[in-house]
Amino acid sequence: MKSKVLSLALLAIFVFSVVASGCIGGEKTTTQTGGAGYAEQIVIGVTDKVTDLDPANAYDFYTWEVLNNIMEGLVKYKPGTLEIEPALAESWEVNEDSTVWTFHLRKDLKFADGTPLKAQDVVRSIERVMTIQGDPSWLVTDFVEKVEAKDDYTVVFYLKQPTSYFLALLTTPPYFPVHPSYSPNEIQSDQTAGGAGPYKIAKWVRDEELVLEANPNYYGEPPKTKRIIIKFYRDASTMRLALQNGEIDIAWRTLRPTDIESLKSEGKYSVIEVPGGFIRYVCLNTKAEPTNNVKVRQALAAAIDRQEISNKVFKGTVEPLYSLIPNGMWSHIDAFKEKYGDGNIELAKKLLKEAGYDENNPLMIQLWYTPTHYGDTEADLAQVLKEQWERTGVIKVDIKSAEWGTYVDYARKGQMQVYLLGWYPDYLDPDDYTTPFLKSTANSWAGTGYANPTVDELLTKAQSLTDQNERTKLYEQVQKILAEEVPYIPLIQGKLFVVTSPDVKGVTIGPDMIFKYSTIYKEKS
Amino acid sequence: MARGIGQYIVIRGLMIIPTILILYTIVFIFLRILPGNPVLAVVGTKNISPEQLQHLMEMAGLDKPLYVQYFDYLWKMLHGDFGVTLAFPMGKPVVEYLKLRFPATLELTIFGFTVSVLLGLLTGTIAATKKGTKIDTGMRLYSIIAYTLFIPWFGMMLQYVFGIHFHVLPTSGRIDPGIELQRITGLYVLDSILTGNWEAFTSAIRHLILPATTLGIVLSGAYTRLVRNNMVDVLSQDFIRSYYARGVRDWKVTWYALKNAFIPVVTLMGLQFAILLGGAVLTETTFNWPGMGTFIVDRIDYRDYNAIQGAVVFFAFFVGLISLIVDIVYALLDPRVKY
Repeated sequence: MKSKVLSLALLAIFVFSVVASGCIGGEKTTTQTGGAGYAEQIVIGVTDKVTDLDPANAYDFYTWEVLNNIMEGLVKYKPGTLEIEPALAESWEVNEDSTVWTFHLRKDLKFADGTPLKAQDVVRSIERVMTIQGDPSWLVTDFVEKVEAKDDYTVVFYLKQPTSYFLALLTTPPYFPVHPSYSPNEIQSDQTAGGAGPYKIAKWVRDEELVLEANPNYYGEPPKTKRIIIKFYRDASTMRLALQNGEIDIAWRTLRPTDIESLKSEGKYSVIEVPGGFIRYVCLNTKAEPTNNVKVRQALAAAIDRQEISNKVFKGTVEPLYSLIPNGMWSHIDAFKEKYGDGNIELAKKLLKEAGYDENNPLMIQLWYTPTHYGDTEADLAQVLKEQWERTGVIKVDIKSAEWGTYVDYARKGQMQVYLLGWYPDYLDPDDYTTPFLKSTANSWAGTGYANPTVDELLTKAQSLTDQNERTKLYEQVQKILAEEVPYIPLIQGKLFVVTSPDVKGVTIGPDMIFKYSTIYKEKS
Repeated sequence: MARGIGQYIVIRGLMIIPTILILYTIVFIFLRILPGNPVLAVVGTKNISPEQLQHLMEMAGLDKPLYVQYFDYLWKMLHGDFGVTLAFPMGKPVVEYLKLRFPATLELTIFGFTVSVLLGLLTGTIAATKKGTKIDTGMRLYSIIAYTLFIPWFGMMLQYVFGIHFHVLPTSGRIDPGIELQRITGLYVLDSILTGNWEAFTSAIRHLILPATTLGIVLSGAYTRLVRNNMVDVLSQDFIRSYYARGVRDWKVTWYALKNAFIPVVTLMGLQFAILLGGAVLTETTFNWPGMGTFIVDRIDYRDYNAIQGAVVFFAFFVGLISLIVDIVYALLDPRVKY
C-alpha cells in the first residue's frame, strides 16, 4: 500500500506541470483584444537581433526593419512596391544635374512624444550621422556635401556628384530624423526615443523583448494593431515551437527551410512567400593560386548547378541567381547562365584541361564556409558545392570552416581561396550589388583582390548618370565582364517567408524586404 | 572553536581568488589564441579603411600589448568593473548585462535545484526502503537514465509533449509577452510576489515548469544514488532496529533515517549547484531562457572578449561562494570536520 503511495507521489511530480498549468491558467495570452475591431496586440518571433538602435550606427537588415517602424525618412517605398512616395516630405524638386535636392516637409510633423519635427531636426540628424562616422555613415558622407534648412519646412541637400538614385538612399535609416534627445556626437545604442514613425518603443529588453506601441502623433494612417511585441529567439526550432504553441502569432526571420516545408504541409498556418533581395555567392581569390587562373574560376562557375542547390539545400526556398544583380531588378541579365549554362560539367572539364588540370593532375581547392552566420544550412551548401565540383572528376575539394569573427579576418587578409558569403542590400539600386564587389576601391572587405580599371570606370559613370536606360547598358556591360572574369560566382537569391497563425492578415513586404508592422492586424474572434 | 572556524572560512574564502585567477587567465589566453577579433566580427562584410579599423581597435583597447590588456582587465575586475562590451551594443558596461541576465539564471537554477533535490530524496528514499525489490531496481535505473539524459533532447521532448501536444505550458521565455512586471530583484517569481502581481506570478511559474523540470530531472539521478546508499547504511544500524522494536511507525523511522543520511547530501548539493549553473546554459538555449548561458553563447559568436571574460569570472566567483557556504554548513553540521 505504502509503496503505491510513494510511486504515485513520484508520478505526481512528473505530471505536476500539467496539473499546475491547469490550476493557474493554461490559456494562451499572445493576443488581447481592443475596441477597434482588431486585436490590440500581435506577437512576432524573430531569430535576428537588434544590434544598435541608433540609426547613425545601425547597419544590419533586421535593425533597419525596427528603425523603419519607429522612424521615417523624407520619402519611403510604397508598401509592397519599389515605387518611392512622399513620407515626411510632401514634395521635392531636383536641379538639372541632380546635385541639389530640395524637400518640403509636412507642416504637422511631430516626434512620438509630441515634440514638433522641423527642417532643422532633419539637418541636425544628418549632420549627426556625418559627425559620428558610424558604420552606415558612408551612405551619407559619400554623397552629401552639405545639408541646409532654408526655413522650418524646407531642407536642401547639396550632393558631391550627381546621384540619380538619391531618393533610394533617402529611404535608408541614416537619413531618418531622430528625436532631439539623441546625443549630437555619440552613438546611443539603446536609445529608445526614436523618430516620427508609426510606432514608438514602449519597452526594450535587449535580446529578449521589444514592445512597440502606436505613435499617437504619427502624421499618417494609424497602425491597425496598437501593440507589436517582438520576441527574440536564439534558434529557429524554438521559434517554430512557440508558433505551434500559440506563444507567437508570426514567425519571421528566419525559419529553416525544413520548418517552412513542414509548416506548409501542416496546413494550419499562412505561409507568405516574398521575393527577397539578398543574395549568396562564392568568392574566389584572384591573387592566390590556383584561383588566380581565370580558366580555373570559369570552370568552377560552369560546374555549379544552382537548381540542385535550391532543391537539396534550401528545399525550394531560394531561386537560382546568375548575376550579382538580383532577379527582377532593372538591368539584371542572366550573365552566368548565358556564358556557362548550369551544371555544365563538360565545359568545366574543358576549361580545366585548358588550365592544365586533368584526372591525373586534379585541381585541389579549399572551400571555406562559416557555420552559423548564414544559418544552419551552410554546411550542407558547402557539401553540395563540393559534390558538384567533384563531379568533374578533375577537382578535389577540401571543406574548411571558421567562426564568423575568424572568417571575416581570413577574408579581409585574402587567406582563403574559395569561400561563401552573402549580401543584403543597403539601398535598392544595381549600384549596391556591383560597386561594393567590383570597384577596386570599395571591395577590400571581400578579399578577392579583384581590380579592373574598365569596371571601375563603368561603375563610376553609372553612378553619376541620371538616365536609367544609359545606366542599364553600363550595368549589363559590367555583368558580362563579371561572368568573364569570375571573381565571384552568384549562387542563389533568397526568398522571404512569413509564417502566421491563420487569423493574422495584412502582411505586406516589398522588394525592400522591410516588414512594416502598421498594416498587420488580427480580427477579433 | 570559534577562532578555528573563523580561520577556516577565511582560508576557504581566499582559495576562491587563485581559482578565479587561473580561470580568467585560461579564458584570456584561449580567446586571444583564436584568430579574428570582436572588431572584425562586428565590421563583418563592410568596407572600411585600414585607418578606421585601427581606430576601432584602439577604441576597444585591442591595440595594446597582450600583457597590458591582461593586467588592465584584471585591475578593473578587482574594482568590480568588468569592462564594456566590444560587440553590439558597443561600449555598454558588462556589469549591466550581468545584472540583467544573472537573476534569470539564478531563478532557473533555484527551481531546477529544488526539483532535483526533492526528486532525488524521494526516489532515493523509496529505493532504500524497498532495497532488493523491483522498485529498488527501477529507482536505480531511473538514476542512471536521468543522469545520462541529454538536456537539449530531453527538453525538446517535454516541449513537444506539454507545449505542442497538450498545449498546457509555454515552451520558451520567462513570461508572457506584454505582461508588465516591476523589476526589484530580477527574479520574476519573487518580484511578482513582492508587487502582488499575480498575473505575472502565474505566468512566470508556468514558464519555469518545463526548464526547471528538465534541469531537475537530469540532475536528480546523482541524489537518488547517494540518498539510497546512505539510507541503506543508516537503516541497517542498531538504532533503527530499536525504533522498529519499539513499534515506531514506518514513515517516522524512514524520516529519522533520512535525517541521518542527509549530511553527505549537503556536500553534493553544493557541488550540484555549480553543475546546475553549467546545466542551465544548455537548458537556457533549449528554452530560449534569457540568462547567463544564452548571453555567453551570443557573445562567443561575436568574440566579445570583455563580456565572455566578465561572465565566466562572475560565474566562477558565484560558484566559489556557494561552495564556501556549503563547506561552512557542512562543517557546522558535522563535528568530525577539522578546521
